[in-house]
Amino acid sequence: MKRRGRGIACMWYPIGFTVDANASAATVKVNEDGTATVLTGTVETGQGSLTVLGQIAAEALGIATDDVHVVSADTDTTPMDTGAIASRTTYVTGNAIWLAAEAAKAILFETAAPMLGVKVSQLEARDRKIQVKSFPQRNVSIGEVAHRSQVVLGQPAIGSASWNPPTVAMDPETGQGKPFATYVYATQIAEVDVDDETGEVEVLRIAAAHDCGTAINPMLVEGQVEGGISMGVGMALHEEMLFDANGRHINPNLTNYIMPTSLDMPEIAVDIVQGFDPTGPFGAKGVGEPTAVPTAAAILNAIHDAVGVRVTSLPATAEKVLTAIKAKRAAEVKQIPA
Amino acid sequence: MIVNGQVRGASVPPETTLLQLLRDNFNLTGAKLGCDVGDCGACTVIVDGQAVNSCLMLAGQAEGRQILTIEGLASRERLHPIQTAFENSGALQCGFCGPGVLLSAKALLDENLNPSTQEIRDALSGNLCRCTGYTKMIEAVQDAARLLREESRTQLTHARTEATAP
Amino acid sequence: MNEHSRVLERDELEIAETLRSPDVDLRLPAVLPREPYPIEPLTPDARQQTRAVGQRATRSDARLHGLGQTKYIDDLSFPGMLYARIKRAGIASARIKRIDTSAAEAMPGVMAVLTGKEIPTNSFGPTFQDQPVLADPIVRHAGDGVAAVAAVTEQIANEALAKIVVEYEPLPAVLDPVAAMREDSPKVHAPNSNIYATKVVRKGDIEKGFAESDRIFEARFSTQMIEHVSLEPHAAIADWDANGRLTIWATIGRITLARADMARTLKLPMSRIRIIGTIVGGNFGGKNEISQEPALALLSKKTGRPVKGVFTRGEEFTATTTRHPIIMDYKTGVSNKGRILARQIRLVLDGGAYCSWSATTLGKACILSPGPYKIDNVLAEAFVVYTNKTMTGAMRGFGAPQVCFAYESQMDDIAKALGIDPLEIRLLNAFDEGSSSPTGQVLHSVVVKESLRKAADRFGWEPRS
Repeated sequence: MKRRGRGIACMWYPIGFTVDANASAATVKVNEDGTATVLTGTVETGQGSLTVLGQIAAEALGIATDDVHVVSADTDTTPMDTGAIASRTTYVTGNAIWLAAEAAKAILFETAAPMLGVKVSQLEARDRKIQVKSFPQRNVSIGEVAHRSQVVLGQPAIGSASWNPPTVAMDPETGQGKPFATYVYATQIAEVDVDDETGEVEVLRIAAAHDCGTAINPMLVEGQVEGGISMGVGMALHEEMLFDANGRHINPNLTNYIMPTSLDMPEIAVDIVQGFDPTGPFGAKGVGEPTAVPTAAAILNAIHDAVGVRVTSLPATAEKVLTAIKAKRAAEVKQIPA
Repeated sequence: MIVNGQVRGASVPPETTLLQLLRDNFNLTGAKLGCDVGDCGACTVIVDGQAVNSCLMLAGQAEGRQILTIEGLASRERLHPIQTAFENSGALQCGFCGPGVLLSAKALLDENLNPSTQEIRDALSGNLCRCTGYTKMIEAVQDAARLLREESRTQLTHARTEATAP
Repeated sequence: MNEHSRVLERDELEIAETLRSPDVDLRLPAVLPREPYPIEPLTPDARQQTRAVGQRATRSDARLHGLGQTKYIDDLSFPGMLYARIKRAGIASARIKRIDTSAAEAMPGVMAVLTGKEIPTNSFGPTFQDQPVLADPIVRHAGDGVAAVAAVTEQIANEALAKIVVEYEPLPAVLDPVAAMREDSPKVHAPNSNIYATKVVRKGDIEKGFAESDRIFEARFSTQMIEHVSLEPHAAIADWDANGRLTIWATIGRITLARADMARTLKLPMSRIRIIGTIVGGNFGGKNEISQEPALALLSKKTGRPVKGVFTRGEEFTATTTRHPIIMDYKTGVSNKGRILARQIRLVLDGGAYCSWSATTLGKACILSPGPYKIDNVLAEAFVVYTNKTMTGAMRGFGAPQVCFAYESQMDDIAKALGIDPLEIRLLNAFDEGSSSPTGQVLHSVVVKESLRKAADRFGWEPRS
């Protein structure tokens, strides 16, 4: 018989390395037509970081995502980057790119100020134009400014910058300190059906509410949540590397290491929690790892709610769940008076 | 064999798989080597209308058949609606499983232009993906199905108009 | 030797292209007509918006992915390229007495063989440099590489591995991390203790906290070893130019540090090394350090040709990093109203054969282990221990999924025992803006409660009477 249960799990997760420096450097070049090229040492591992970094540069320069070309991952031509790890790319590399874009923009503003007859501090970049704040009718296209700057004045609009999260080392005895510059928070709630005759668990739906500061690209955030949940489902129910008594692998293959397929995925409802972190680029934090954190906990709590058994070791295979159910029944039977 | 509409020939050792033939001999690197034993689906191509794991098929077995790889989906004029739908939905992340998934989806939509969510899940069940959780892929296949249904309705309308024109 | 099977022509159609038979020495791809694709890109609206932040912009690489045109490392090939394979020990703990590569070297098609002795600095690691590129002389897990070959085809390289003779002296192995903590356990990195890193977070007065508690809950939780299973296996290509400059195409997610590691293992100045990170088919933490790259570089140097190495799916499990199994003991003291007053945690991480990213995982797991809750009295102690199993390293979450499983499971146990709704008990304890973390940090941009309420709302969580 199938029994339904629901379980909550909430979590917190840091952005960046623990205390240690993990800087990113970046260069932003505004081309003579007002489009831009970004150089970053980070590596696109599939999460879409290059698109997000392009959006950050575009926002800073007042141009569109499609106007920005991002070049990455070559130690000869791109500046150093500590890498795509610890969910740090949007926050740390993003800040470096934002600062570099601001530096390039400063050169453009110096060129534009006399063109528009105002001071540099009165300028802003919007809609592919450099315009006067509160009087946008006075403007000049960013392409015109970039061209004048580079070709006429000999001042190409290139900016370079680096950024490292500020931390405080942890005391070796007590661990007190500021190990990370910021954290993200999330909750996932799972609904499961547990077959109390086989121990099989089906995850029906998950509601996931994730904080990432400002969501630079909500579509990519959703992609991370859905992907993280699939890892969480695998961790909760199926995946395990097994060794024999001699330390040799028993299942080093995808036949016997059970990974979630499209048939194992629940329906997922993603909500991005409104947030703004002033220390991040345009308020953004990060989201890559946190999405895989609370899923297994939520599913196991739902199993507990469904059949009243607490499985304390992962994965909660059908065998383990069934054994726990039977043990619970046996204990209950013992308590019934004769 | 006919690969993406062109006749291709090769002379290879008998143990060569279709995957090796496509990648190494024909330079069609869209189909990927993920496990080489048919567990992951990254090597999926369409052979005579059916989605198959090309790492499990010998090159010789493909002799005389029609093969469709990812490189044969788009035309010079436009992307295939499945490719458009996947791109717009953000359904691919690292993209490694992508060619296999797109072809499994095509095989489904060639048979069934109105698949249910469960039918889509079943069609993709042989393609492992670690990045996306499959969710946006399922949405993309539904979008692609809708696009293809609209296209076929348009074509039908044109045909009728021509037929009834004086 | 090989029977060639001929593919028959169709009578009605002409062959569009006849291929040269592959030259056994040079695996040159045949020249082929370009595959069709639309030249003019259609740019979706979101990418044209000039307020770029917050746009559901399609990815810049989505088009190429959908066309199958993205080139991952295994899709790249260079003229004269050789294929490398690494021989895996297959034994969990041993001393190599003798390696005889002569039969492999004599095979036609085998261009070079490499063992650990030939590596200038045979050690690497992001925190401790305790991992060899190729084991010499101690093997510490079944996936340890002991020799590498480069050959003209992958098949010949595979056959050559079988011809390499290695004589092992088996050594005692320890597989359980708790057993490995004992002084009398076999030492994975003798003479050092198997406990290779520890971390403590201590706040308030834990005994006082328990004394003030109305109820105390204790439980042990444990998690398993997990593999990243990126669809793309680890891969790299190494090539030198005539100036003695090394170029590596790699799936590594950290090229700056990879360059530093290559400089160290090969004893080269950094200006002579170029690392190109290609588009990666998934990382999740498993591709954040060098592995076969120094071996490929040396094979390339020996042969004067580019060398490509791609891990098999089996090697993805046996020879790349994994997620730490953790044994977690939680003791939590609460008031009758469900307020957490004290939490004591002990974590034992199975640290595998080499450190890799274990120190980072240890630190994060320890700091995060009390959960996103306001707790005045905390004592969290964590240990990571060597065992003779696959090395455990960085994997999405660095210990957070494991400890979250523990603290959230226990939270529900507490809620049930006290008759409090699981949502309510979390809202009662969760961080607020400005709360103090277990390490005494004042937290900003805190939205735990907002995430709880939002998820509950979306789920339709109603308290049960």
